[in-house]
Amino acid sequence: MNSYYSVAYMAVFLPLTILAYQLMPVRKRWLVLLAASYFFFYAISGKLVVFVILSSLSIHHFGLWLEHIDHQEETRKIRMKQKRKVLLFAILLHMGLLVVLKYMPFFLSNLNQLAAVMGLSISWSVSRYALPIGLSFYTLQAVSYMVDVYRGQQKADPHLGRICLYLAFFPQIMEGPIARYRRTADQLYAGRTITYTQLTFGIQRILYGFFKKMVIADRLNPLVKAIFTNYTDYAGEMILLGALAFTLQLYMEFSGTMDVVIGTAEIFGIHLPENFRQPFFSKSISEFWKRWHISLGTWFKDYVFYPVAMSSWSKKLTVRARKKIGPLYGPILCSAFALLAVWIGNGFWHGTGWNFLFFGLYHFTLIFLGSLILPVTRKWSAKWRIDRNHWLYQSWQLVRTFILVCIGELFFHANGLWAGLQMFGRILTTTSLASFQDGTLFSQGLDAQDFIIVLLSLGIVLWVSIQKERQVSIRQMIAAKPIPIRWACYYTLILMIIIFGAYGYGYIPVDPMYANF
Amino acid sequence: MEKIIAILKEIQPDLDTDSKRLIDDQYLDSLSILSLVAELEDAFDVMIPAVEITAKNFNSVEGIYQLVERLKEED
Repeated sequence: MNSYYSVAYMAVFLPLTILAYQLMPVRKRWLVLLAASYFFFYAISGKLVVFVILSSLSIHHFGLWLEHIDHQEETRKIRMKQKRKVLLFAILLHMGLLVVLKYMPFFLSNLNQLAAVMGLSISWSVSRYALPIGLSFYTLQAVSYMVDVYRGQQKADPHLGRICLYLAFFPQIMEGPIARYRRTADQLYAGRTITYTQLTFGIQRILYGFFKKMVIADRLNPLVKAIFTNYTDYAGEMILLGALAFTLQLYMEFSGTMDVVIGTAEIFGIHLPENFRQPFFSKSISEFWKRWHISLGTWFKDYVFYPVAMSSWSKKLTVRARKKIGPLYGPILCSAFALLAVWIGNGFWHGTGWNFLFFGLYHFTLIFLGSLILPVTRKWSAKWRIDRNHWLYQSWQLVRTFILVCIGELFFHANGLWAGLQMFGRILTTTSLASFQDGTLFSQGLDAQDFIIVLLSLGIVLWVSIQKERQVSIRQMIAAKPIPIRWACYYTLILMIIIFGAYGYGYIPVDPMYANF
Repeated sequence: MEKIIAILKEIQPDLDTDSKRLIDDQYLDSLSILSLVAELEDAFDVMIPAVEITAKNFNSVEGIYQLVERLKEED
Protein backbone atom coordinates (compact mmCIF):
# COMPACT_ATOMS: atom_id res chain seq x y z
CA MET A 1 0.00 0.00 0.00
CA ASN A 2 1.88 3.08 -1.21
CA SER A 3 -0.84 5.38 -2.55
CA TYR A 4 -4.58 5.93 -2.82
CA TYR A 5 -4.50 4.17 -6.19
CA SER A 6 -3.01 0.90 -4.98
CA VAL A 7 -5.17 -2.22 -5.01
CA ALA A 8 -4.40 -2.85 -1.33
CA TYR A 9 -5.74 0.59 -0.41
CA MET A 10 -8.88 0.58 -2.55
CA ALA A 11 -9.83 -3.09 -2.33
CA VAL A 12 -8.85 -3.90 1.25
CA PHE A 13 -7.88 -0.95 3.46
CA LEU A 14 -10.69 1.49 2.58
CA PRO A 15 -13.59 -1.02 2.56
CA LEU A 16 -12.42 -2.50 5.89
CA THR A 17 -12.11 1.00 7.41
CA ILE A 18 -15.63 1.89 6.19
CA LEU A 19 -17.00 -1.35 7.61
CA ALA A 20 -15.26 -0.96 10.98
CA TYR A 21 -16.36 2.70 11.16
CA GLN A 22 -20.01 1.88 10.49
CA LEU A 23 -20.09 -1.03 12.96
CA MET A 24 -18.51 1.00 15.76
CA PRO A 25 -20.74 2.97 18.18
CA VAL A 26 -21.01 6.64 17.06
CA ARG A 27 -18.94 8.00 19.96
CA LYS A 28 -15.99 5.72 19.18
CA ARG A 29 -15.94 6.05 15.38
CA TRP A 30 -13.23 8.69 15.49
CA LEU A 31 -10.97 6.03 17.00
CA VAL A 32 -11.41 3.90 13.87
CA LEU A 33 -10.41 6.86 11.69
CA LEU A 34 -7.39 7.60 13.89
CA ALA A 35 -6.23 3.97 14.00
CA ALA A 36 -6.70 3.71 10.21
CA SER A 37 -4.75 6.96 9.72
CA TYR A 38 -1.77 5.82 11.79
CA PHE A 39 -1.85 2.40 10.11
CA PHE A 40 -1.83 4.09 6.66
CA PHE A 41 1.02 6.38 7.74
CA TYR A 42 2.97 3.42 9.14
CA ALA A 43 2.41 1.38 5.95
CA ILE A 44 4.11 4.10 3.92
CA SER A 45 6.60 5.76 6.28
CA GLY A 46 7.19 3.04 8.91
CA LYS A 47 8.57 4.28 12.21
CA LEU A 48 8.48 7.88 10.99
CA VAL A 49 4.84 7.88 12.11
CA VAL A 50 6.35 9.08 15.38
CA PHE A 51 6.87 12.52 13.76
CA VAL A 52 3.16 13.15 13.20
CA ILE A 53 2.36 11.85 16.71
CA LEU A 54 4.95 14.17 18.28
CA SER A 55 3.65 17.10 16.22
CA SER A 56 0.13 16.42 17.51
CA LEU A 57 1.34 16.27 21.12
CA SER A 58 3.28 19.47 20.54
CA ILE A 59 0.44 21.58 19.09
CA HIS A 60 -1.92 20.22 21.74
CA HIS A 61 0.46 21.44 24.43
CA PHE A 62 1.25 24.80 22.79
CA GLY A 63 -2.45 25.49 22.19
CA LEU A 64 -3.26 24.97 25.87
CA TRP A 65 -0.21 27.01 26.90
CA LEU A 66 -1.31 29.95 24.72
CA GLU A 67 -4.79 29.81 26.19
CA HIS A 68 -3.44 29.51 29.73
CA ILE A 69 -1.55 32.80 29.24
CA ASP A 70 -4.85 34.44 28.22
CA HIS A 71 -6.34 33.52 31.60
CA GLN A 72 -3.53 35.10 33.62
CA GLU A 73 -4.15 38.34 35.51
CA GLU A 74 -1.47 40.36 33.72
CA THR A 75 -2.30 43.33 31.47
CA ARG A 76 -3.29 42.57 27.89
CA LYS A 77 0.03 43.98 26.63
CA ILE A 78 2.11 41.66 28.82
CA ARG A 79 -0.07 38.67 27.93
CA MET A 80 0.28 39.37 24.22
CA LYS A 81 4.04 39.64 24.59
CA GLN A 82 4.20 36.29 26.37
CA LYS A 83 1.92 34.69 23.80
CA ARG A 84 4.05 36.04 20.96
CA LYS A 85 7.16 34.44 22.49
CA VAL A 86 5.44 31.08 22.94
CA LEU A 87 4.03 31.17 19.39
CA LEU A 88 7.40 32.11 17.92
CA PHE A 89 9.06 29.23 19.75
CA ALA A 90 6.34 26.81 18.62
CA ILE A 91 6.57 27.90 14.97
CA LEU A 92 10.38 27.72 15.02
CA LEU A 93 10.17 24.20 16.43
CA HIS A 94 7.76 22.93 13.77
CA MET A 95 9.14 24.83 10.80
CA GLY A 96 12.69 24.14 12.03
CA LEU A 97 12.04 20.40 11.85
CA LEU A 98 10.68 20.82 8.32
CA VAL A 99 13.72 22.86 7.29
CA VAL A 100 16.22 20.42 8.81
CA LEU A 101 14.61 17.33 7.32
CA LYS A 102 13.72 18.74 3.92
CA TYR A 103 15.95 21.71 3.13
CA MET A 104 19.22 21.17 5.01
CA PRO A 105 20.83 18.94 2.34
CA PHE A 106 20.01 21.60 -0.29
CA PHE A 107 21.42 24.49 1.77
CA LEU A 108 24.54 22.56 2.80
CA SER A 109 25.38 21.36 -0.72
CA ASN A 110 25.00 24.95 -1.98
CA LEU A 111 27.21 26.23 0.85
CA ASN A 112 29.83 23.61 -0.07
CA GLN A 113 29.72 24.76 -3.69
CA LEU A 114 30.04 28.39 -2.62
CA ALA A 115 32.99 27.56 -0.36
CA ALA A 116 34.67 25.70 -3.23
CA VAL A 117 34.19 28.66 -5.58
CA MET A 118 35.66 31.00 -2.97
CA GLY A 119 38.63 28.66 -2.52
CA LEU A 120 37.79 27.87 1.13
CA SER A 121 38.69 24.45 2.45
CA ILE A 122 35.43 24.05 4.35
CA SER A 123 33.02 21.27 3.60
CA TRP A 124 29.88 20.20 5.43
CA SER A 125 28.80 16.61 5.16
CA VAL A 126 25.43 16.41 3.47
CA SER A 127 23.16 13.72 4.88
CA ARG A 128 19.73 13.14 3.44
CA TYR A 129 17.00 12.22 5.88
CA ALA A 130 14.04 9.99 5.24
CA LEU A 131 10.94 12.18 5.15
CA PRO A 132 7.63 11.14 6.69
CA ILE A 133 4.75 11.40 4.20
CA GLY A 134 2.85 14.67 4.12
CA LEU A 135 5.41 16.50 6.30
CA SER A 136 4.92 19.80 4.42
CA PHE A 137 1.14 19.46 4.55
CA TYR A 138 0.62 18.60 8.21
CA THR A 139 3.28 21.11 9.34
CA LEU A 140 1.26 23.91 7.70
CA GLN A 141 -1.90 22.58 9.37
CA ALA A 142 -0.08 22.49 12.72
CA VAL A 143 1.10 26.10 12.31
CA SER A 144 -2.38 27.30 11.29
CA TYR A 145 -3.90 25.74 14.43
CA MET A 146 -1.37 27.41 16.75
CA VAL A 147 -1.63 30.83 15.05
CA ASP A 148 -5.44 30.66 15.16
CA VAL A 149 -5.31 29.90 18.91
CA TYR A 150 -2.85 32.78 19.39
CA ARG A 151 -5.15 35.13 17.48
CA GLY A 152 -8.19 34.00 19.45
CA GLN A 153 -9.88 32.70 16.30
CA GLN A 154 -9.77 29.15 17.65
CA LYS A 155 -10.16 27.86 21.19
CA ALA A 156 -7.36 25.51 22.28
CA ASP A 157 -8.75 21.99 22.15
CA PRO A 158 -8.09 19.98 25.32
CA HIS A 159 -9.02 16.75 23.46
CA LEU A 160 -5.76 15.21 22.25
CA GLY A 161 -7.51 12.63 20.05
CA ARG A 162 -9.27 15.29 18.00
CA ILE A 163 -5.95 17.06 17.38
CA CYS A 164 -4.21 13.79 16.42
CA LEU A 165 -6.95 13.02 13.89
CA TYR A 166 -6.84 16.56 12.46
CA LEU A 167 -3.12 16.19 11.64
CA ALA A 168 -3.12 12.59 10.45
CA PHE A 169 -6.52 11.97 8.74
CA PHE A 170 -5.52 9.34 6.16
CA PRO A 171 -7.29 10.56 2.99
CA GLN A 172 -5.59 13.96 3.13
CA ILE A 173 -2.20 13.15 4.69
CA MET A 174 -0.40 12.60 1.36
CA GLU A 175 -1.45 15.56 -0.77
CA GLY A 176 -3.77 17.72 1.32
CA PRO A 177 -5.98 19.75 1.10
CA ILE A 178 -4.51 21.85 3.90
CA ALA A 179 -7.53 22.08 6.19
CA ARG A 180 -8.29 24.47 9.05
CA TYR A 181 -9.02 23.13 12.50
CA ARG A 182 -12.26 25.03 13.05
CA ARG A 183 -13.77 23.68 9.84
CA THR A 184 -12.71 20.03 10.00
CA ALA A 185 -11.92 18.85 13.54
CA ASP A 186 -15.54 18.57 14.69
CA GLN A 187 -16.55 16.79 11.49
CA LEU A 188 -13.75 14.26 11.92
CA TYR A 189 -14.82 13.61 15.50
CA ALA A 190 -18.60 13.54 14.90
CA GLY A 191 -18.77 9.91 13.73
CA ARG A 192 -21.65 10.54 11.32
CA THR A 193 -23.41 7.42 10.10
CA ILE A 194 -22.61 6.59 6.48
CA THR A 195 -25.72 7.05 4.35
CA TYR A 196 -26.50 5.69 0.89
CA THR A 197 -26.17 9.19 -0.64
CA GLN A 198 -22.82 9.82 1.06
CA LEU A 199 -21.51 6.45 -0.10
CA THR A 200 -22.66 6.79 -3.74
CA PHE A 201 -21.63 10.45 -4.06
CA GLY A 202 -18.26 9.66 -2.50
CA ILE A 203 -17.66 6.66 -4.80
CA GLN A 204 -18.67 8.70 -7.87
CA ARG A 205 -16.14 11.38 -7.01
CA ILE A 206 -13.44 8.75 -6.36
CA LEU A 207 -14.17 7.17 -9.76
CA TYR A 208 -13.87 10.53 -11.49
CA GLY A 209 -10.50 11.00 -9.77
CA PHE A 210 -9.39 7.56 -11.00
CA PHE A 211 -10.48 8.51 -14.51
CA LYS A 212 -8.39 11.72 -14.48
CA LYS A 213 -5.36 9.98 -13.01
CA MET A 214 -5.35 6.61 -14.79
CA VAL A 215 -6.77 7.51 -18.19
CA ILE A 216 -5.09 10.90 -18.71
CA ALA A 217 -2.20 11.52 -16.28
CA ASP A 218 -0.74 8.00 -16.45
CA ARG A 219 -1.18 7.81 -20.24
CA LEU A 220 0.74 11.06 -20.72
CA ASN A 221 3.57 9.81 -18.52
CA PRO A 222 5.86 8.20 -21.16
CA LEU A 223 5.77 11.34 -23.32
CA VAL A 224 6.45 13.69 -20.42
CA LYS A 225 9.23 11.47 -19.06
CA ALA A 226 10.94 11.12 -22.44
CA ILE A 227 10.93 14.84 -23.21
CA PHE A 228 11.94 16.11 -19.77
CA THR A 229 14.69 13.48 -19.35
CA ASN A 230 16.28 13.76 -22.80
CA TYR A 231 15.32 17.31 -23.73
CA THR A 232 18.52 17.83 -25.74
CA ASP A 233 17.26 15.23 -28.25
CA TYR A 234 14.11 17.21 -29.02
CA ALA A 235 13.27 20.26 -31.07
CA GLY A 236 11.35 23.22 -29.65
CA GLU A 237 7.90 22.05 -30.76
CA MET A 238 8.30 18.74 -28.88
CA ILE A 239 9.49 20.56 -25.73
CA LEU A 240 6.48 22.84 -26.05
CA LEU A 241 4.29 19.76 -26.32
CA GLY A 242 6.09 18.29 -23.28
CA ALA A 243 5.37 21.45 -21.23
CA LEU A 244 1.71 21.32 -22.28
CA ALA A 245 1.47 17.58 -21.55
CA PHE A 246 3.11 18.02 -18.13
CA THR A 247 0.78 20.89 -17.18
CA LEU A 248 -2.25 18.78 -18.05
CA GLN A 249 -0.75 15.72 -16.39
CA LEU A 250 -0.05 17.63 -13.18
CA TYR A 251 -3.58 19.00 -13.11
CA MET A 252 -5.13 15.59 -13.80
CA GLU A 253 -2.95 13.85 -11.21
CA PHE A 254 -3.32 16.44 -8.46
CA SER A 255 -6.97 17.36 -8.99
CA GLY A 256 -7.77 13.66 -9.60
CA THR A 257 -6.18 12.80 -6.26
CA MET A 258 -8.19 15.60 -4.66
CA ASP A 259 -11.34 13.97 -6.08
CA VAL A 260 -10.28 10.67 -4.48
CA VAL A 261 -9.43 12.44 -1.18
CA ILE A 262 -12.57 14.59 -0.97
CA GLY A 263 -14.74 11.69 -2.19
CA THR A 264 -13.31 9.38 0.49
CA ALA A 265 -13.94 11.98 3.19
CA GLU A 266 -17.49 12.48 1.85
CA ILE A 267 -18.24 8.81 2.48
CA PHE A 268 -17.61 9.49 6.20
CA GLY A 269 -19.73 12.66 6.03
CA ILE A 270 -16.68 14.92 6.20
CA HIS A 271 -16.48 17.94 3.90
CA LEU A 272 -12.89 18.87 3.18
CA PRO A 273 -12.11 22.19 1.44
CA GLU A 274 -11.95 22.16 -2.36
CA ASN A 275 -8.45 22.58 -3.77
CA PHE A 276 -9.33 23.37 -7.41
CA ARG A 277 -11.97 25.48 -9.12
CA GLN A 278 -11.52 25.04 -12.88
CA PRO A 279 -8.08 26.76 -12.90
CA PHE A 280 -7.75 26.83 -16.70
CA PHE A 281 -10.72 29.17 -16.93
CA SER A 282 -8.60 31.89 -15.28
CA LYS A 283 -8.17 35.18 -17.07
CA SER A 284 -5.02 36.18 -15.17
CA ILE A 285 -2.23 34.52 -13.17
CA SER A 286 -3.60 36.14 -10.04
CA GLU A 287 -6.98 34.50 -10.68
CA PHE A 288 -5.24 31.20 -11.55
CA TRP A 289 -3.79 31.00 -8.03
CA LYS A 290 -7.25 31.55 -6.56
CA ARG A 291 -8.40 28.47 -8.47
CA TRP A 292 -5.30 26.20 -8.27
CA HIS A 293 -4.19 24.56 -5.01
CA ILE A 294 -6.59 26.88 -3.19
CA SER A 295 -5.84 25.61 0.31
CA LEU A 296 -2.11 26.38 -0.07
CA GLY A 297 -2.87 29.85 -1.51
CA THR A 298 -5.22 30.76 1.33
CA TRP A 299 -2.71 29.44 3.89
CA PHE A 300 -0.01 31.73 2.49
CA LYS A 301 -2.49 34.63 2.32
CA ASP A 302 -3.64 34.26 5.93
CA TYR A 303 -0.34 33.35 7.60
CA VAL A 304 2.28 35.14 5.47
CA PHE A 305 0.81 37.82 3.19
CA TYR A 306 -1.46 39.65 5.63
CA PRO A 307 0.84 39.40 8.67
CA VAL A 308 3.72 40.90 6.61
CA ALA A 309 1.57 43.45 4.73
CA MET A 310 -0.27 44.50 7.89
CA SER A 311 2.80 44.82 10.10
CA SER A 312 3.23 48.30 11.57
CA TRP A 313 6.31 49.14 9.42
CA SER A 314 4.56 48.01 6.27
CA LYS A 315 1.48 50.11 7.08
CA LYS A 316 3.62 53.18 7.76
CA LEU A 317 5.36 52.61 4.45
CA THR A 318 1.99 52.22 2.70
CA VAL A 319 0.69 55.52 4.12
CA ARG A 320 3.86 57.34 2.98
CA ALA A 321 3.81 55.67 -0.43
CA ARG A 322 0.14 56.57 -0.92
CA LYS A 323 1.00 60.22 -0.33
CA LYS A 324 4.09 60.21 -2.56
CA ILE A 325 3.20 57.77 -5.33
CA GLY A 326 -0.58 57.91 -5.18
CA PRO A 327 -3.46 55.88 -3.70
CA LEU A 328 -3.31 53.30 -6.48
CA TYR A 329 0.36 52.42 -6.93
CA GLY A 330 1.45 53.18 -3.34
CA PRO A 331 -0.23 50.15 -1.74
CA ILE A 332 0.69 47.94 -4.73
CA LEU A 333 4.40 48.76 -4.39
CA CYS A 334 4.34 48.34 -0.61
CA SER A 335 2.58 44.99 -0.84
CA ALA A 336 5.44 43.74 -3.04
CA PHE A 337 7.41 42.76 0.11
CA ALA A 338 4.57 40.62 1.38
CA LEU A 339 3.97 39.16 -2.08
CA LEU A 340 7.66 38.33 -2.46
CA ALA A 341 7.69 36.57 0.93
CA VAL A 342 4.67 34.52 -0.19
CA TRP A 343 6.23 33.45 -3.48
CA ILE A 344 9.67 32.62 -2.09
CA GLY A 345 7.83 30.47 0.47
CA ASN A 346 5.56 28.97 -2.17
CA GLY A 347 8.50 28.16 -4.46
CA PHE A 348 10.54 26.45 -1.75
CA TRP A 349 7.49 24.68 -0.33
CA HIS A 350 7.21 22.84 -3.64
CA GLY A 351 10.74 21.50 -3.51
CA THR A 352 14.42 21.99 -2.88
CA GLY A 353 16.05 23.30 -6.00
CA TRP A 354 16.75 26.62 -7.63
CA ASN A 355 14.14 25.88 -10.27
CA PHE A 356 11.47 25.92 -7.55
CA LEU A 357 12.67 29.31 -6.34
CA PHE A 358 12.59 30.46 -9.97
CA PHE A 359 9.04 29.08 -10.26
CA GLY A 360 8.00 31.17 -7.24
CA LEU A 361 9.73 34.33 -8.47
CA TYR A 362 8.26 33.84 -11.96
CA HIS A 363 4.73 33.88 -10.54
CA PHE A 364 5.57 36.76 -8.19
CA THR A 365 6.75 38.80 -11.19
CA LEU A 366 3.66 37.98 -13.25
CA ILE A 367 1.22 38.82 -10.43
CA PHE A 368 3.07 41.99 -9.44
CA LEU A 369 3.39 43.23 -13.03
CA GLY A 370 -0.24 42.25 -13.62
CA SER A 371 -1.44 44.48 -10.77
CA LEU A 372 0.82 47.35 -11.99
CA ILE A 373 -0.38 47.09 -15.58
CA LEU A 374 -4.09 46.52 -14.87
CA PRO A 375 -5.00 50.24 -14.40
CA VAL A 376 -3.13 51.08 -17.64
CA THR A 377 -4.84 48.34 -19.67
CA ARG A 378 -8.23 49.42 -18.28
CA LYS A 379 -7.50 52.99 -19.37
CA TRP A 380 -6.35 51.88 -22.83
CA SER A 381 -9.35 49.60 -23.25
CA ALA A 382 -11.65 52.54 -22.53
CA LYS A 383 -9.67 54.82 -24.87
CA TRP A 384 -9.67 52.34 -27.77
CA ARG A 385 -13.22 51.21 -26.96
CA ILE A 386 -12.21 47.59 -26.39
CA ASP A 387 -14.97 45.64 -24.69
CA ARG A 388 -13.18 43.70 -21.94
CA ASN A 389 -16.28 41.55 -21.46
CA HIS A 390 -16.38 40.48 -25.11
CA TRP A 391 -15.87 36.71 -25.53
CA LEU A 392 -12.99 37.28 -27.94
CA TYR A 393 -11.07 39.44 -25.45
CA GLN A 394 -11.79 36.99 -22.63
CA SER A 395 -10.68 34.05 -24.82
CA TRP A 396 -7.39 35.84 -25.43
CA GLN A 397 -7.00 36.30 -21.66
CA LEU A 398 -7.64 32.56 -21.07
CA VAL A 399 -5.12 31.49 -23.73
CA ARG A 400 -2.49 33.97 -22.52
CA THR A 401 -2.85 32.78 -18.91
CA PHE A 402 -2.67 29.12 -19.96
CA ILE A 403 0.55 29.72 -21.93
CA LEU A 404 2.13 31.56 -18.98
CA VAL A 405 1.13 28.70 -16.65
CA CYS A 406 2.68 26.11 -19.03
CA ILE A 407 5.98 28.06 -19.10
CA GLY A 408 6.01 28.11 -15.29
CA GLU A 409 5.35 24.37 -15.13
CA LEU A 410 8.22 23.72 -17.56
CA PHE A 411 10.65 25.22 -15.03
CA PHE A 412 8.81 23.48 -12.19
CA HIS A 413 9.33 20.02 -13.69
CA ALA A 414 12.70 20.57 -15.37
CA ASN A 415 15.68 18.71 -13.95
CA GLY A 416 17.13 21.85 -12.35
CA LEU A 417 17.14 25.53 -13.28
CA TRP A 418 19.79 25.18 -15.99
CA ALA A 419 17.81 22.42 -17.71
CA GLY A 420 14.70 24.61 -17.53
CA LEU A 421 16.51 27.54 -19.13
CA GLN A 422 17.92 25.33 -21.86
CA MET A 423 14.50 23.84 -22.60
CA PHE A 424 12.94 27.28 -22.78
CA GLY A 425 15.81 28.41 -25.03
CA ARG A 426 15.19 25.47 -27.37
CA ILE A 427 11.51 26.46 -27.65
CA LEU A 428 12.54 29.96 -28.70
CA THR A 429 15.24 28.89 -31.15
CA THR A 430 14.42 25.48 -32.61
CA THR A 431 10.64 25.40 -32.98
CA SER A 432 9.19 24.30 -36.31
CA LEU A 433 6.56 21.79 -37.40
CA ALA A 434 9.15 19.16 -38.42
CA SER A 435 8.57 16.74 -35.47
CA PHE A 436 4.86 16.64 -36.24
CA GLN A 437 5.51 15.64 -39.86
CA ASP A 438 8.45 13.20 -39.65
CA GLY A 439 6.82 10.70 -37.26
CA THR A 440 8.66 11.86 -34.08
CA LEU A 441 5.33 12.84 -32.47
CA PHE A 442 3.90 9.33 -32.42
CA SER A 443 7.11 7.52 -31.43
CA GLN A 444 7.62 8.93 -27.93
CA GLY A 445 5.56 6.42 -25.97
CA LEU A 446 2.20 7.69 -27.23
CA ASP A 447 0.86 6.54 -30.59
CA ALA A 448 -2.04 8.11 -32.53
CA GLN A 449 -4.56 5.95 -30.62
CA ASP A 450 -3.18 7.15 -27.26
CA PHE A 451 -3.48 10.76 -28.40
CA ILE A 452 -7.12 10.19 -29.42
CA ILE A 453 -7.92 8.63 -26.01
CA VAL A 454 -6.24 11.54 -24.20
CA LEU A 455 -8.03 14.15 -26.33
CA LEU A 456 -11.45 12.54 -25.89
CA SER A 457 -10.89 12.20 -22.14
CA LEU A 458 -9.79 15.83 -21.93
CA GLY A 459 -13.02 16.69 -23.76
CA ILE A 460 -15.01 14.93 -21.01
CA VAL A 461 -13.09 16.77 -18.27
CA LEU A 462 -13.66 20.06 -20.13
CA TRP A 463 -17.41 19.39 -20.34
CA VAL A 464 -17.56 18.57 -16.62
CA SER A 465 -15.55 21.73 -15.85
CA ILE A 466 -17.95 23.88 -17.89
CA GLN A 467 -20.91 22.42 -15.99
CA LYS A 468 -19.16 23.10 -12.67
CA GLU A 469 -18.41 26.65 -13.77
CA ARG A 470 -22.15 27.04 -14.46
CA GLN A 471 -22.84 25.78 -10.90
CA VAL A 472 -24.44 22.57 -12.25
CA SER A 473 -23.93 19.57 -9.95
CA ILE A 474 -23.39 16.61 -12.25
CA ARG A 475 -23.74 14.13 -9.41
CA GLN A 476 -27.15 15.53 -8.50
CA MET A 477 -28.06 15.61 -12.18
CA ILE A 478 -27.19 11.90 -12.50
CA ALA A 479 -28.91 11.07 -9.19
CA ALA A 480 -32.17 12.60 -10.52
CA LYS A 481 -32.19 10.33 -13.61
CA PRO A 482 -34.07 6.97 -13.76
CA ILE A 483 -32.13 3.96 -12.43
CA PRO A 484 -31.15 2.50 -15.86
CA ILE A 485 -29.63 5.81 -17.03
CA ARG A 486 -27.95 6.35 -13.67
CA TRP A 487 -26.29 2.93 -13.70
CA ALA A 488 -25.39 3.30 -17.37
CA CYS A 489 -23.43 6.43 -16.42
CA TYR A 490 -21.64 4.64 -13.57
CA TYR A 491 -20.79 1.59 -15.70
CA THR A 492 -19.57 3.79 -18.57
CA LEU A 493 -17.15 5.56 -16.22
CA ILE A 494 -15.95 2.27 -14.67
CA LEU A 495 -15.51 0.67 -18.10
CA MET A 496 -13.65 3.70 -19.40
CA ILE A 497 -11.19 3.43 -16.50
CA ILE A 498 -10.78 -0.35 -17.03
CA ILE A 499 -10.45 -0.18 -20.81
CA PHE A 500 -8.63 3.11 -21.32
CA GLY A 501 -6.71 3.32 -18.04
CA ALA A 502 -2.94 3.22 -18.58
CA TYR A 503 -1.99 0.40 -16.17
CA GLY A 504 -0.50 -3.06 -16.22
CA TYR A 505 2.46 -4.37 -18.21
CA GLY A 506 4.37 -1.70 -20.15
CA TYR A 507 2.89 1.24 -18.27
CA ILE A 508 4.61 3.23 -15.55
CA PRO A 509 2.01 5.09 -13.48
CA VAL A 510 2.93 8.64 -12.58
CA ASP A 511 4.13 9.04 -8.98
CA PRO A 512 1.89 11.02 -6.65
CA MET A 513 3.29 14.42 -7.66
CA TYR A 514 2.51 16.34 -4.50
CA ALA A 515 3.12 13.52 -2.04
CA ASN A 516 6.79 14.30 -1.49
CA PHE A 517 6.33 18.00 -0.80
CA MET B 1 -21.62 54.25 5.91
CA GLU B 2 -21.47 56.81 3.05
CA LYS B 3 -17.81 57.43 3.83
CA ILE B 4 -17.06 53.70 3.57
CA ILE B 5 -19.00 53.41 0.30
CA ALA B 6 -17.04 56.38 -1.09
CA ILE B 7 -13.72 54.73 -0.11
CA LEU B 8 -14.78 51.42 -1.68
CA LYS B 9 -15.86 53.18 -4.89
CA GLU B 10 -12.51 54.97 -5.05
CA ILE B 11 -10.60 51.70 -4.74
CA GLN B 12 -12.84 49.69 -7.06
CA PRO B 13 -15.14 51.86 -9.19
CA ASP B 14 -17.22 48.94 -10.54
CA LEU B 15 -17.89 47.43 -7.08
CA ASP B 16 -21.46 46.50 -6.13
CA THR B 17 -21.63 48.06 -2.67
CA ASP B 18 -24.96 46.32 -1.94
CA SER B 19 -23.28 42.91 -2.19
CA LYS B 20 -23.04 40.82 0.97
CA ARG B 21 -20.32 38.63 -0.57
CA LEU B 22 -17.54 41.11 -1.39
CA ILE B 23 -14.87 38.61 -0.29
CA ASP B 24 -16.63 35.34 -1.11
CA ASP B 25 -17.34 36.47 -4.69
CA GLN B 26 -13.82 37.93 -4.96
CA TYR B 27 -14.86 41.53 -5.61
CA LEU B 28 -12.11 42.49 -3.17
CA ASP B 29 -8.72 40.83 -3.65
CA SER B 30 -5.70 41.00 -1.31
CA LEU B 31 -4.40 44.25 -2.81
CA SER B 32 -7.81 45.94 -2.62
CA ILE B 33 -8.05 44.88 1.02
CA LEU B 34 -4.66 46.46 1.77
CA SER B 35 -5.67 49.74 0.09
CA LEU B 36 -9.02 49.63 1.89
CA VAL B 37 -7.36 49.04 5.28
CA ALA B 38 -4.95 51.95 4.72
CA GLU B 39 -7.84 54.25 3.68
CA LEU B 40 -10.05 53.16 6.60
CA GLU B 41 -7.25 53.67 9.14
CA ASP B 42 -6.64 57.11 7.69
CA ALA B 43 -10.28 58.16 7.51
CA PHE B 44 -11.46 56.83 10.88
CA ASP B 45 -8.21 57.00 12.87
CA VAL B 46 -8.27 53.32 13.87
CA MET B 47 -5.73 50.50 13.76
CA ILE B 48 -6.91 47.39 11.90
CA PRO B 49 -4.79 44.34 12.88
CA ALA B 50 -4.20 41.43 10.47
CA VAL B 51 -6.39 39.19 12.62
CA GLU B 52 -9.43 41.29 11.64
CA ILE B 53 -8.97 40.52 7.93
CA THR B 54 -11.79 38.01 7.76
CA ALA B 55 -14.59 37.42 5.27
CA LYS B 56 -17.09 38.21 8.05
CA ASN B 57 -15.65 41.71 8.52
CA PHE B 58 -15.15 42.57 4.84
CA ASN B 59 -18.00 40.80 3.05
CA SER B 60 -20.31 43.82 3.15
CA VAL B 61 -20.33 47.57 3.77
CA GLU B 62 -22.31 46.82 6.93
CA GLY B 63 -19.59 44.42 8.15
CA ILE B 64 -16.85 46.98 7.49
CA TYR B 65 -18.89 49.64 9.31
CA GLN B 66 -19.35 47.40 12.34
CA LEU B 67 -15.63 46.56 12.38
CA VAL B 68 -14.67 50.26 12.33
CA GLU B 69 -17.20 51.08 15.07
CA ARG B 70 -15.93 48.24 17.25
CA LEU B 71 -12.29 49.23 16.80
CA LYS B 72 -13.15 52.86 17.61
CA GLU B 73 -14.81 51.71 20.85
CA GLU B 74 -11.84 49.48 21.76
CA ASP B 75 -9.50 52.45 21.30
